[in-house]
Amino acid sequence: MLYQIFSTTWKDIKILLKDWHGIATLFLMPLMFIIIMSTALQGLFYNDADKEPERIPVANLDQGDYAADAITALEDMEGIEVVTTWNNEVLTREAAEALVIEGEYPLVVVFPTDFSRQIEAREVNENATAVIELLADPAISTPYVAPIQGMVYSAAERVAETSIVESAVSSGLETIFAEVPEENRPEFTFEKTGSSIVDIQQISPPNMEAEFEPDTYQQNVPGYTVMGVFFIIGAMSTSILTEKREGTFRRLLAAPLPKPVLLAGKILPYYIVNLIQIAIMFTAGHLLFGMTFGDPLALAVISMALSAAATGLGIMIAAMGKTDTQVGGLTSLLTLTMSALGGCLMPTYIMPDFLQEISQLIPHKWAMQGFQDVLVRGYGVEGIMGEAGILLVFAAAFFLTGLRLFRFE
Amino acid sequence: MSRNIVETNNLTRHYGNIKAVKGLGFAVQQGEFFGFLGPNGAGKTTTLSMLACILEPSEGTALIAGHDLINEPNEVRQIIGLVPQELALYPTLNAFDNLLYFGSIYGLRGRALRRRIIEVLGMVSLSDYSRKPVKAYSGGMKRRLNIAAGLLHSPRLLFLDEPTAGVDPQSRNAIFDHVERLKEEGMTIIYTTHYMEEAERLCDRVAIIDEGRIIALDAPHKLIADLGGGIIHLGVGQKIIDKTMLKQIRSLPQIKSAERLNGKYEIKTSHTKETLIHLLDFFKHTTVSITSLEILEPNLETVFLSLTGKQLRD
Repeated sequence: MLYQIFSTTWKDIKILLKDWHGIATLFLMPLMFIIIMSTALQGLFYNDADKEPERIPVANLDQGDYAADAITALEDMEGIEVVTTWNNEVLTREAAEALVIEGEYPLVVVFPTDFSRQIEAREVNENATAVIELLADPAISTPYVAPIQGMVYSAAERVAETSIVESAVSSGLETIFAEVPEENRPEFTFEKTGSSIVDIQQISPPNMEAEFEPDTYQQNVPGYTVMGVFFIIGAMSTSILTEKREGTFRRLLAAPLPKPVLLAGKILPYYIVNLIQIAIMFTAGHLLFGMTFGDPLALAVISMALSAAATGLGIMIAAMGKTDTQVGGLTSLLTLTMSALGGCLMPTYIMPDFLQEISQLIPHKWAMQGFQDVLVRGYGVEGIMGEAGILLVFAAAFFLTGLRLFRFE
Repeated sequence: MSRNIVETNNLTRHYGNIKAVKGLGFAVQQGEFFGFLGPNGAGKTTTLSMLACILEPSEGTALIAGHDLINEPNEVRQIIGLVPQELALYPTLNAFDNLLYFGSIYGLRGRALRRRIIEVLGMVSLSDYSRKPVKAYSGGMKRRLNIAAGLLHSPRLLFLDEPTAGVDPQSRNAIFDHVERLKEEGMTIIYTTHYMEEAERLCDRVAIIDEGRIIALDAPHKLIADLGGGIIHLGVGQKIIDKTMLKQIRSLPQIKSAERLNGKYEIKTSHTKETLIHLLDFFKHTTVSITSLEILEPNLETVFLSLTGKQLRD
């Protein structure tokens, strides 16, 4: 009996070893996921000494000195690298807005022109407040903004208090008690009364205003929808493989059915399934969690472009996979890896720079950006045409590659 | 005007370094029932696949009803019907829905399509089962539906690739009946099989194919007549076949040839029964005993054996 068990096991191992594509993807998939997720999320589990400092662009428009002092205090803080220039030029407000709009940085700190003046105004008006602007992408999550906001506030408030209040009062007291021996001088402590001198305001760049306050569902629903849409590639590939295996494909090849038409006929049902998937996911997000839709036409355009990319990839995988194991392995590897790299599982702005560069080559990233343009940044059809266009380029590339590789015989 | 509906010239197909079909040249007339008889791997399905525009020939040309196979494949596809060796059906759909789809890809639609579906289902005796899912059908029923799908668009030329493979004898006979009816209605049919009795029963002409080549082509009765009798395999109690004895056997009446084959005598004769009497008489006067005797009456299997030295079915 043991011998029969061993013989059967060995037979199946031999069969599996012949399918090296399937084996490679079965082992590659978890490995890729581990590497990407660990690299992308390293910021959440870092050892202080190991972490790369967070680069914060700062535009100093202040006509006084207090902003410069605050920036110096910020630079002294651990974990931060302050960037005050871009393309070898000092950051201006326009440059700061461009950095956020173009996605180079999710936020930029702006010290306005009257920052120092506002701090000095506190001497005569205890309610005067010097405002620092946090120019941020509306889609950025609060857990990312809050620590930066806190550090900027801390640095700026310390400078303001030290510079204005303490030194002025201490200087006055020195003058008053100059003749009194030190041992007889009264002790003075400073208590902060009234409101903070510094205030931080988060604002969006022009034309990037969020119509509604972004919520967690506007991050998660598009993320998991995009991931889910690409699972279609497994269903498509398996369907084509089954047709080939069951012989119906042979009958279709003998029929007056052009090959591109044959493939298009395989794509269309899954394209429709994708659109229904997206509609259901977003409707569920709205009904269950109150997620808002934004411009429905813009949403439809992104959805159609996304579905084209997903089904195009399905054809390509169907052309590459020769067995069910290969198809299953490729599907899992690609859907999970691309979802992770494309920002479906975590925002791309928390990833290291090189992963953010790689994400540009992933259709998921453009789909996520498109959805968030509509849901969070309030863009209409015109605003998402770029992302939709890129998704259609992916769709064309996948389909043409699949057509080239597809074995019709 | 040519009466040929199929004409091939040097039709060849390579798979890498392997030549599966080597330089086939043959013609099939309109209304003819033409057979390809050969063992598994002989090149029958590959030949059919080329003629059905599934595989592109590596070399050579073919005309199907005057249309060039390579340059006018869509015209060819409109004319031909294919009944593949595999059951090319969607198992989760019922017969009606299968045929609805297959008919639509040939441009049939609406009431005309539905009428035609009812007609072909009647032809293959599946009218009462049209709404059952195909996966619930018996093997014979699936084979008949497979044929029905190839007939939907009323092709001028029908390719039947081993349509009785894996089917029980009763269903096989039912399929023969349907196929013979098609023949009577004047359809041109190219039929592949490795069963000689099918070729003998159905075919007007048979091309015997082995290792990618046609080694004989004629009406079955002529191929058998050309063999001129049967073959006798005689096993004797000799470790090594005696050359002298072989010579003596060759000189017996009505023996066309005698050779040593796998430790036996293979004797080809024009009259099997009379030769057998002579052989028995011959060995009676020797000290050599007969240990086995096999008589292969003249049929296509024997023809194949005499031409190739191999059995038709392994």
